[in-house]
Parts: sequence; structure tokens; C-alpha cells
Amino acid sequence: MNYSQNYVTQLMEKITTWARVNSPWAIHFNSGSCNGCDIEILATLTPRYDVERFGIKLRGSPRHADVLICTGPVTRQARERLLRTYEQMPSPKFVVAVGSCGISGGVFQGCYNVVGHLDEVLPVDAFVPGCPPRPEAIIDGIVKLLTHVQNGTRPEPIAKPVSQEAV
Amino acid sequence: MTTETLLQHASELLAPFAKASNNPESNRLDVQITPGDLPAAAAALSNASWGYLAAITGMDLAPEINELEALYHFCDKAAITTLRVHLPREDQPEIPSISDKIPAASFFERELSEMLGVTVVGTPDPSRLFLPDDWPTGVYPARRDFKIEDAAPVPVVRKTPEPGRVGNRFVVPIGPQHPALKEPGHFEFSVDGEVITGARMRLGYVHRGIEKATEGRNWIQNLYLLERVCGICSHTHASAYAQGVEKLAGVEVPPRALAIREFVAGLERIHSHLLWLGVSAHEAGFDSLFMYSWRDRETVMNLLEELTGNRVNYSICILGGVKQDIVAEHTETIHKSLDYLEERIRYYLDVVTTDVTFLQRTRNIGTMSLEEATLYGTLGPTARASGLERDVRVDAPYGAYSQFPVTMVTAERGDLEARFVVRMNELLVTCATLRAIADNLPAGDIATRFPRKVPAGETVSRVEAPRGEAFYYIKSGGGDSPVRLKIRTPSLCNWTSVLNKVVGHQLADVPMLIAGMDPCFSCNDRMVTVHRKDDSSTITWAELRKYGIEKYKRG
Repeated sequence: MNYSQNYVTQLMEKITTWARVNSPWAIHFNSGSCNGCDIEILATLTPRYDVERFGIKLRGSPRHADVLICTGPVTRQARERLLRTYEQMPSPKFVVAVGSCGISGGVFQGCYNVVGHLDEVLPVDAFVPGCPPRPEAIIDGIVKLLTHVQNGTRPEPIAKPVSQEAV
Repeated sequence: MTTETLLQHASELLAPFAKASNNPESNRLDVQITPGDLPAAAAALSNASWGYLAAITGMDLAPEINELEALYHFCDKAAITTLRVHLPREDQPEIPSISDKIPAASFFERELSEMLGVTVVGTPDPSRLFLPDDWPTGVYPARRDFKIEDAAPVPVVRKTPEPGRVGNRFVVPIGPQHPALKEPGHFEFSVDGEVITGARMRLGYVHRGIEKATEGRNWIQNLYLLERVCGICSHTHASAYAQGVEKLAGVEVPPRALAIREFVAGLERIHSHLLWLGVSAHEAGFDSLFMYSWRDRETVMNLLEELTGNRVNYSICILGGVKQDIVAEHTETIHKSLDYLEERIRYYLDVVTTDVTFLQRTRNIGTMSLEEATLYGTLGPTARASGLERDVRVDAPYGAYSQFPVTMVTAERGDLEARFVVRMNELLVTCATLRAIADNLPAGDIATRFPRKVPAGETVSRVEAPRGEAFYYIKSGGGDSPVRLKIRTPSLCNWTSVLNKVVGHQLADVPMLIAGMDPCFSCNDRMVTVHRKDDSSTITWAELRKYGIEKYKRG
């Protein structure tokens, strides 16, 4: 690769990272949540917290989204839909688990219809603890993730990536 | 009519079928009947307009008895009549359906059959409602001998996707991800052109098995588990459970604690209704109202946080009282916040009744007559907007509601506009009650000691949630955890009305119709798949919403 090609690639990478960090679009998936986290996520969109000023936007379609924000433990019925939603997102994609249930199953640990916590199903990039976490905490979680994306220091996701057979 | 006369009346109506009857509590009548008599007995109550079917509890009695029991709870004002039907445990027990007479029963019957393994003969839709697709057949979680190992996933035989075109109509599947549901649900709407001709639904995407989980946890752990049935009306569930368990244990809760519970319930109602106002305005494309109402909702959230320490799952209830006191320095903040909220709520009331564009989406849409509301067994503001007077706080005052009463707010028209008006007016009533409580809080302790074990017995606890009556049936065997705990939330009852009311409406009205009954919102943009002929294209919920807005713009 000659010098100019290398320069162009680097520049393109810089531009895409800049765009990605400044305007992450998110999709929200409730995989078994009690709604507590979900209303706090919605609260982050509304005037007091207003994440749109950071370019963060909630989208309806996974095909438009960079970040998958998940709430709740993963139930048996939601698991396959969650995987399908994740598969439909374009790469690079990031997963944020909001709330204690996504981290450990929370209060629903051991319930018969609960598969478990989120990183048993998807590779998770950021966990936001709390039952439910405050809107500030959710914003902080996403900002931490974006800082890693910007610096190129994204840690390896905790769980192994999803295999195609699982879907 | 007083509770005694109501129970007397019920007992006369049921006399021809009764094998045995007794009054376990002063407001309850238990009647033992045979499975064969069930349709006739239910018809006797419903023909005489005696109350409504509140819930069906399926119970596995002790394994040595080898019997199942189905409890059909009917409520009229404070009176509760329970039809108890014993069934054999083996050989796939059968029970006749009552949903031809009482359409609201169909959801309860689906739940009964999948959870307890009872075949409901003649129920309109015997498919699964809550359990996952990969659940093995013949494993029933409500049975005593259920073990989680038995429920290992089985391979799912997936039908090839149904062609979009069935006969001369299209089927539009919506969900499982959906903005207007506590549980992300799955709907199938059959449409003829733009008009909906049929609707089906499936729940269970966030079914976690809480009822079963309560049986393995002690009374105190369950309080925190049940608070997380729903993050929006968490206090409703905590207080309904606490109230029932306190009744079983015979514990007298201090009046100050009851008043504080009512206070928090009032704040919860305000936050829930403002949340609903915002989200339904969003569905109609009125995003300014969404942002306004959520901004003002933060006032309530501040107040909740100041009083309880938490914004969402407040954990204010403990068995035997409440955790935190409302003290003198809170009073000023409370009044100041309520001043602001009352002013804003009046403004919203004005907006939803005068804004022409918004009225196009709400006036005369989804109109439900009083007869229909009664037939479908609707509850809460959805029922009250059709003039059906159902409010547990007024009908059967519990806790501090006899000391700090609320007035029932109803409307006549039964359309979406009426539901907005009822909810907003209800908030004004709530604000007035909250002021009264803050100014006249009874003196005394906020909690009393609660025993670790609860004496054997069973009770029914009903609480008015923001969306309607929450119904709890609690049975204790004398140990430190419940034997059976049944939860019936208001949204489940209101679904019947939506599924029936969407028929004949435009597809574009679906988001508003679903939002109109305020199913516990887990609000967000969700996926919608639309099949057209043999080519199936996917559109997002956002696009459907936009489509609805555009359609009305065109006029």
C-alpha cells in the first residue's frame, strides 16, 4: 500500500469514527423488563435530559441502529427475537445492558421462563447497573462506550459472539 | 346495595348449583360447584348483572389430595363471589368454557389451560398466551410438582410464514416489539383494504414466571419481587400484596402508614397518566405535547424521589407499614409541586379538548358504549370513559381511602377523547386528595412489627392501579412463603375490548386505539412487519405511525 492510499484509508476511518461518535443511533429492546428501565430510557429523550443534543437518537428499525440498548433479563420467548434484532443491525454494533436484570438476572434469577442475563445471549459492551438506573447513569454508560469508540480502546465484549446456529 | 345484600343476592342466584357455600371473609362468598354446572352458574351471575369476572385462579391442591381447583372470582362493589370447581389431577381434566357468555374470560381460560393443564372445552382460542413456543407439552408451571428441569426447550416446528393474503384479505402481523404494551405482544390484524376485519394476539415475551417464583421466596422477599411486576405501577403491586398479607396475618397497619401509601399511590397515578398522555400524543404525531408532559412529569419524579429515595421502584411499602415518613419540611415542596402540576393538567385538559388536529385522531374513534364496556369486562379509566362506574377506591375503599376519599370521574362518550378527559380530570381529583393528605396526616407510627410466618388462610386483595383494578389472590399454608399467589393486572382485562373494538377501524388508527387503553407502556419505536401478497416487506413501527399521521393530513 503506498503512502497516499494509506492516508486516504486513515482519513476515512477518522471521518467514520467522528460520525459514529457524534451521532450514535440506538434501538431499544425490552427482552423481559418490568418497564422500570424502559421509562427511564425514554426519560433520557425528554427535555430534562435530552440526549438528542449529543446526537443520540432512538430508532425504530435495527437496520438504522448502531447501539442496541437492552433492558431486562432475557426470557425464553424474547431470546430468538433479540438475536434476530441484533443480527439485523449493521456492523460495527454495540450492546448496552441497562439495569440489574441484564447484568445478573436481578430479582428474576431462577424464574422458569428466564434464560438468564444478557451476556449469555449477546456480546455486551457496556453495563449500566441500577434497578432502574437513573437517566444520568444511562447517559453516562453510553458516553463511556462512545469514549472507547473514539479512542479506539473498545474492550473485548465479555461474551462470545453469537453463532449463526443460535439464531 | 350493601355488601351483605349483594352477597345475599349472589347466594340466591347460585343456590340451584351450590354443593356447599361459606363466607370466608365478611365480603366474600365461596360457592362449591361441579364443573358441569359452571356455565349455568356463571350465566346466572352475568344475566342478573351481578358484578364482573375479575379473574380465574388455577390452583394445584396438595399432591396427596390429587385434585386441582379453579376459582372463578366475580366482583361487585366490595363483594366478591368465588365459584370453586374441583377437578381431578390426572387424565387431562376438562372444564367447560364460559367465554360465550363472558368474552373477558377467554384470556383467563387460555392462561388456566396452559399453566395448570386443564382443557377448557369450547374456548374460542386455545393457543398459548404466555408460555414460550419452545415449551414442552404436558409441563404445567402452576402445578406443585413442576420442576424447572422438565421445561427444557423443545425444538420448535415453525410453520412456514403464513402468506400475507388469506382469501381476499391480508394479515398484518404487528410485534412482538410494540410501543403500546407492558409485555411486548404479537398481534395479527386481518385487513380488507384499510379496514381491519379481525384481530388476534399473543403475549409472553416478557413473561418471567413471577407467580411461581413467589412460592419459593419468603413473604418479605416477595414484596420486592412483586414491586417489579411493573416498573410503572410498582407501588400498586407492593401495596396490594402488603395489604393482602397483612389481612392474612391479622396485622393492624397504623393509619399514618396507610395515608402515606395512599399519597404515594396518588403520585404514581399522576406520573403514570402524564407518561400515558405523552406517549399517546406521540402516537398521534403530537410530539410537542409528548415533550411537555414528560417535562412536567419530572416534577412528580422529583417529589417521589424526595419522599421515597427512588424515582421508579419506590420500595416505600414494607409489611406492616411504610419505610419513610412524610415530615413537615416536605409539605411546602408538596404544595408547590401540586400547584404547578394542577396548572399544567388544566392546560393539557384544554389542549386535548380543543386542539383540532388532535381531536381528528381522538373524537369518535374507538367509541365503546356502556354495554360493550360491561360485556368486555373493561376496568379503570377505559371503563370510566364509557360511563361504567368501576373504581376500587370508591367501590370498596381500602387503606386510607375511607378517610381521604376520591370522587369517581366518568364520561359518557366512550371515545378516545373521553379517555383523555377522564384521565386528566382524575388527576385533578388526585391532586386535591394529595393536598388533603399532606395537610391532615394522621399522627402515630409509620410501621408495626410483622411476624415472619403468616397463618394459613386465603384472601383477595384489590387495589386501583392507574390502569384499573389490580387483583391479588393470596393463599398461605402457615409457612414463611405463600402457597399460591395469583396476580391479575388491569391491562389483561382491557385487551378484550381493544381486540374487539379495532374491527371496523382503519389500520392507521391502531396505534391510537392501543394507546387509548393505556396498556402498561414499554414505549418505544418497535418493529412492524407487513405482508403484502406473496412479497413480504418490512416497515417499522415509526413508519406505520407516520403513515397514520400522513393519512390524516391528507384529510
